Amino acid sequence: MTARAGVLAFLLVAVAGLAVVPLFASGYHVTFIIQVFMWMALAGSWNLISGFTGYVSFGHVAFFGVGAYTGALLITKAGWHWLPAGVAGAAPAAALALVIGYPCLRLKGPYFAIAMLGLNEVVRALVSYFEGFTGGGSGLSLPPILSIAPVYYAMGGTAAAVTLLTYRIITSQFGLRLLSIREDEVAAEVMGINTARLKLYAFLLSAAFPGIVGGFYAWYASHVEPLSVFPLLTTITMIIMCLFGGKGTVFGPVLGAGLLSVFQELVWARFLFVHQAIFGALIVGVVLLIPRGILGVLQQRYQLPRSI
Amino acid sequence: MRTAFRSVTGLVTALVILAGSWTPALAQEWTVGASISLTGTYAKPGKYTQEGYLLCEKDINDKGGLLGRKIRFVVYDDKSDPPTAIKLYEKLITEDKVDLVMGPYSSPVTNAASTVSEKYKKLMMASLAATTSIWERGFKYLFMTISPAEVYLEGLVDLAVERGLKTVAVINEDTLFSKAAAKGTIELAKKKGMQVVFHEAYPKGTTDFSALLIKIKSLNPDVIAAGSYFDDAVATTRQMKELDVNPKMYGVTVGGDLPEFYKLLGKTAEYVYGSSQWEKGLPYPGIKEFVTNYEKMWNREPVYHSAAAYGACQVYAEAIKRAGSLDSDKLRAELLKIKMKTIFGDYQVDERGFQVAHKMVLHQWQDAKKVTVWPAAVSEGKPLYPTPPWQRR
Repeated sequence: MTARAGVLAFLLVAVAGLAVVPLFASGYHVTFIIQVFMWMALAGSWNLISGFTGYVSFGHVAFFGVGAYTGALLITKAGWHWLPAGVAGAAPAAALALVIGYPCLRLKGPYFAIAMLGLNEVVRALVSYFEGFTGGGSGLSLPPILSIAPVYYAMGGTAAAVTLLTYRIITSQFGLRLLSIREDEVAAEVMGINTARLKLYAFLLSAAFPGIVGGFYAWYASHVEPLSVFPLLTTITMIIMCLFGGKGTVFGPVLGAGLLSVFQELVWARFLFVHQAIFGALIVGVVLLIPRGILGVLQQRYQLPRSI
Repeated sequence: MRTAFRSVTGLVTALVILAGSWTPALAQEWTVGASISLTGTYAKPGKYTQEGYLLCEKDINDKGGLLGRKIRFVVYDDKSDPPTAIKLYEKLITEDKVDLVMGPYSSPVTNAASTVSEKYKKLMMASLAATTSIWERGFKYLFMTISPAEVYLEGLVDLAVERGLKTVAVINEDTLFSKAAAKGTIELAKKKGMQVVFHEAYPKGTTDFSALLIKIKSLNPDVIAAGSYFDDAVATTRQMKELDVNPKMYGVTVGGDLPEFYKLLGKTAEYVYGSSQWEKGLPYPGIKEFVTNYEKMWNREPVYHSAAAYGACQVYAEAIKRAGSLDSDKLRAELLKIKMKTIFGDYQVDERGFQVAHKMVLHQWQDAKKVTVWPAAVSEGKPLYPTPPWQRR
C-alpha cells in the first residue's frame, strides 16, 4: 500500500466515522463537533489567503458576520429554509471581499492587515446603524432549532469542502503561483505572474466560506447581534488554529482546529480561571518553537508530500 | 528523552487524578443544571448569580431537601458566550442527565440556552433575563423572574408626572436590554401625557457623550432618562456636570444602584435616581435572614442578581412541592398558577411565562446613601426635589 492510499483510507474511515456520530452520540458531543467543524472551516478559509500568499487578514470575522446577518435576514424576513439561506451567506461575503480586496490587495506590507482590521469595525458599525433592517444593537432572533443533526452535516460539509478546495489549489498551478507570492512577490511578478489578480481570486474564495459558516451559525445560535458575530477574537482564533496546525498546508487548519478545540475544552472545564493563560502559553510556545506549525515540522522531518 | 517521558507520565497522572475527582451524580440527589458566565463580559453579575443559586441549594438541603431528596447544582462556565451556553445545556441535559435546569445570566445567553431546554421539554426557570422578546417566541417551558426592561424607569416617569413635569429626553446604549428599557420609558411617558423631546442611542463602548448632551441641553428637558449600563452611566453623569446640563430629574437604569457608582462619582452622584430590581432593605418575607446568610456564606453583600437567583430557586422549589413531581408539564401547570412573595418580591406570570407581578424600585442618592423613593409602599424617604443646578450643589 502506498502512502497515498494509506492517507486516503484513513480519511475515508474518519469521514465515515464522523458521519454516523449524530446517530448515537449525545447532544453535547454533537454540539462540540459542530464547533470544531466551524473552526476547521474558518481556519481553512483564512489559510487560503493568508497561509498561501502571506497577506495576513485581521478582519476575516467580517465575512463571517456578514454571512450570519445574510442568513438571519433571509430566514426571518424572506422565510427561506436555513440551508439555502446559510449557503447564500457566501455571496455578500465574496462581494465585500471584492470591494475591499481590489484596492487593498495592492498594498504591501502591514497595510493590508490594518485595512482588514478597519473593515471589521466599519461593517459592525454599519450593521448597528441600519436598525430598521438589522435590528441594530438588539440583533435578530431566529426560530429555535429542534434538531441539530442537519446543522452538524451542513457544518461538516463546509469544513470538508474548504479542505478539498485547499487540496485542489495546492496541487494546481494556481497554488504554486500563490506560494511564489508568499516567498517573493517581486520575483513572482518578474516571472510574469499577475499577482494582483491571483491574490484577489484567493481572497474571494477565502471570504466565501466564512460567509457560509456564518449563515449556518445564525441558524444554530438562533440569535445574531453585532457584538456576537463580529468579535476580533474569532479572527485571532482562526489565525492561531491555522498557524498551530501549519499554514499553507491542506490539513494544517484541520489539525489545528481539532487539537486546539479539544485542548481548550479539556483545560477550560478543569482550570476555569487559568485556562486562558495556559492557552496563551501554548501559543507562545508554538510560535517560538515550531513556527511552521505541527504539519510543517512533520513534512520537513519525514519528507512528506507537500499536498498533505 | 527520559525527562520528556517523565513529564508526560506526570501529566497523564495529573489528568487521571483530576478526572477521578470529577465525581458523577449520586442517585439520591436531584441535580439542577445551569450554565453561568463565570468568565467574560458578564463575569461579575454571573458570580453573584451563582452565589444566589448555591445559597438556595444549601438552604433547601438544610430544611430537608425536596420530595425527600437533597438537591445539588451542577454549574458550568459559559464564558458569557451564547453558543457555549447551547453546548453546555446540551451537556447538562443529555450527558449529566440533570433533573432540573435553571437559567444562565443575561438576556442573550438565556435566549440561546432556552432553545435547548425547550427542545428537550425541560422546564427552565430563567432568573436573570429581562428582555420581553424572549417570551414572545411561544416557548412552553420557560419562566421569567425579574421585571422586564421596559418598566425599569417606571418610577422616574411616575414621580415626574406627580410633580407636573412635562418634557423628557431619553438616551440609551444600543444593546438588547438598554434599548428595550428606553423604548418602555418612552411609551410610559407618552401614556402619562409627557412629551418625549429627544431620543438617541449610542453604541456600546462610547465614552464621550458631549455631543449628545449639548443637543439635550439646548432642548432643556425637565427629565433625562438614560438606558445605561455601569460605565456609560458614570460617564454621562460626569459629563452632565462638566457641560452644566440641568434637568429637574435625572435617572439611569443599570449602574446607579451599585456602590461603585457613588465611589467613582462622589458628590456628583447626589440627586441621581437609579432603578433596581431589588434592595436589601425591602420589606419582603425572609429577606433579613437571606442577607445575613448570604454575607456569612460569601463574605460580601448580596446584590439584586443574587436575590433574583435565590428568588427564582424559591419559586421553583415551591412549584415542585405543590406538583409533587419533577415532570415538566406538571411543574408548568403549577408555575402558571402560583402567586407568591419570595425574598426577591412578587412572582406571578401570564400564560407566556412572562413576569407580571414583580415590582422595580427607584432610589435616589442622598448624602452618600441610596434611599428608596418609589413605589410609595416600600419607600424609605422622600425624593429630594427639584435637583438644584450644578453650581449650587
